[in-house]
Formats: sequence, structure tokens, C-alpha cells
Amino acid sequence: MFVLDDLLFRPFVGIVDTLHTLALDEMYDIDALEDELKENQLLYEIGDRSEEEYRERKEELEAEIEIAQEVHERLSSGRVEVKS
Amino acid sequence: MTSHRYVYGVVDGDPVEFETDAVAGADRVYTISHRRLGAVVSDIDTTDPEETDEDAQRHDDILREIMIDRDRAIVPMQFGMAFESDRTIKNVLRGARPAFRRAMNDVEGRIELGLKVVRNEDAEVDDDAIEEAVAEELESIAAQSVPNGLFSDRLVLNRSYLIEREDREAFDEAIARLEEADSHDEVTVRYTGPFAPYSFVDVEIGAQR
Repeated sequence: MFVLDDLLFRPFVGIVDTLHTLALDEMYDIDALEDELKENQLLYEIGDRSEEEYRERKEELEAEIEIAQEVHERLSSGRVEVKS
Repeated sequence: MTSHRYVYGVVDGDPVEFETDAVAGADRVYTISHRRLGAVVSDIDTTDPEETDEDAQRHDDILREIMIDRDRAIVPMQFGMAFESDRTIKNVLRGARPAFRRAMNDVEGRIELGLKVVRNEDAEVDDDAIEEAVAEELESIAAQSVPNGLFSDRLVLNRSYLIEREDREAFDEAIARLEEADSHDEVTVRYTGPFAPYSFVDVEIGAQR
């Protein structure tokens, strides 16, 4: 139980920090976004999504992936500011 | 500066050279050889090329041209392998010689084809039955096959097949039978290729690019 141990043995700020990190991880799940990018392509290829819908969604997802990568880089370098 | 080299794949024997729209705006591919092995390359000004849709397509097209139009076996590289100099490439060819030889034996005379079976929106399907039907039709024709990721809830099956070139027609016919099967109202079959056999080559190229 990594999370529980982490929460029990770290001071309060640590708890907020950990929860915040977990929430960010879930919000900025790069693998899930990349899967969605592939799904968008597939649905376009089989004709379930119009070219316009496909292009629009692709742009959105690529932008989200870029943000997610930035967030993960900041998380790993400890530069994300935690405000409670 | 275009002193770096972008690598598409490795061939055995005679060098490959032709003019084409290559990755990162280059207009020619050629071969850098070490003994009988040759890396098919184009010039580039970075060792970290950005994977745009257009360049990914050019990478694929060049591999296909070598493999299909020029009838040459090529051990394909994934997109993005660029090296600092010809010397680095020759060192890689020398160092990974046994691995390239083995991979060459695996891909010679063979092509890769892809199959995705997609559940139609709101349809209910028996995944196991579809997998079984596909395996029954295709596994006996294919030399090898590997599963790929099910990246969407709509995907029932996603596999790559390595087949001998002379079995292509039999494979196409088997796919046509699958498309005409009873389940065709519930699923859409997406058949792609031929590709260079990326999914069946496992050559790791070392760090000193």
C-alpha cells in the first residue's frame, strides 16, 4: 500500500501534495490521451467521424497531450506549486 | 547543416539510391554500407526529428517503395532514428551485424498486413467468436502474427500478420470471407498494408547516435 504508507508517514503538506499529484496524474494521463488520438484516427478511417470532426478532435487531443507532458515534466522536477 | 543521417532501414547487398520526397525535406535516399549490409538514409540536420504525420507517411512510403516496387528485403527502423555521422552508422552496422542478419532472414520475401475488427456503434458482439473466426481463417496462412493494443472500446481485435508474398492473394481472399460473414452488420473490418514488417523485427540500436 504505497499510497497509504505515504499518507501516514508524511506530514500534512505531504498529504496534500500526494493527493494533488495523484489527481494531476489522473487528469493528465498521457497514455489515455494517446489512445484517444488513435481511436479518433480509426473512427475517421472507418467513416464514423467526418474529416472536420476528426481534425478538430485531433488538434484538441494534441494540445492536451502537450499540456500533459509539461505537467508531468514539472511534477518530476518538483516545480508544481501546491496551494491548499 | 545536413551532416546527420536519418535511417529508414537496413538492406543486404547492392546499395539502394533514388530521388524522392524524403523525411525532413530531403530529396534523395541512398545507402551507407559496411561490408554487405547497408543503411538506407537521407540527409537531415538533427538527431531528434519531430514525428509529423507527413514525415511518418514519407518514412512508410520509402520503405514500401524499396520493399514492393524495388523488390528488396529491408529490415525496417521505426520512425525517428537519426545519427550524427556516417561513421556512427557504420559502427552500428558492424556492432549489430548478427542481429541484422537474423532479422533479414525473418523478413526476406515477407510483408506485414494489419487487421482491425471494430464493433459498430451500439452493436453487441461476441468477441470470442470473432477472434476464433479470424484465427481460423488467417493463422494457417500467416508465417507469424502478433496482437496489438486495444486502444478503443470499439476494437474487438487488432493484430499484425507476417506473410510470405506469394500468400498475399490467399490472405486477401480469407479477409474477404471475414468481411462477408454473418457478423458484418455488427462489425467493420479494417485491413491495412502491406507494410515493412516493423512488428516482427526486434533490433535495438545502441545509444551512441
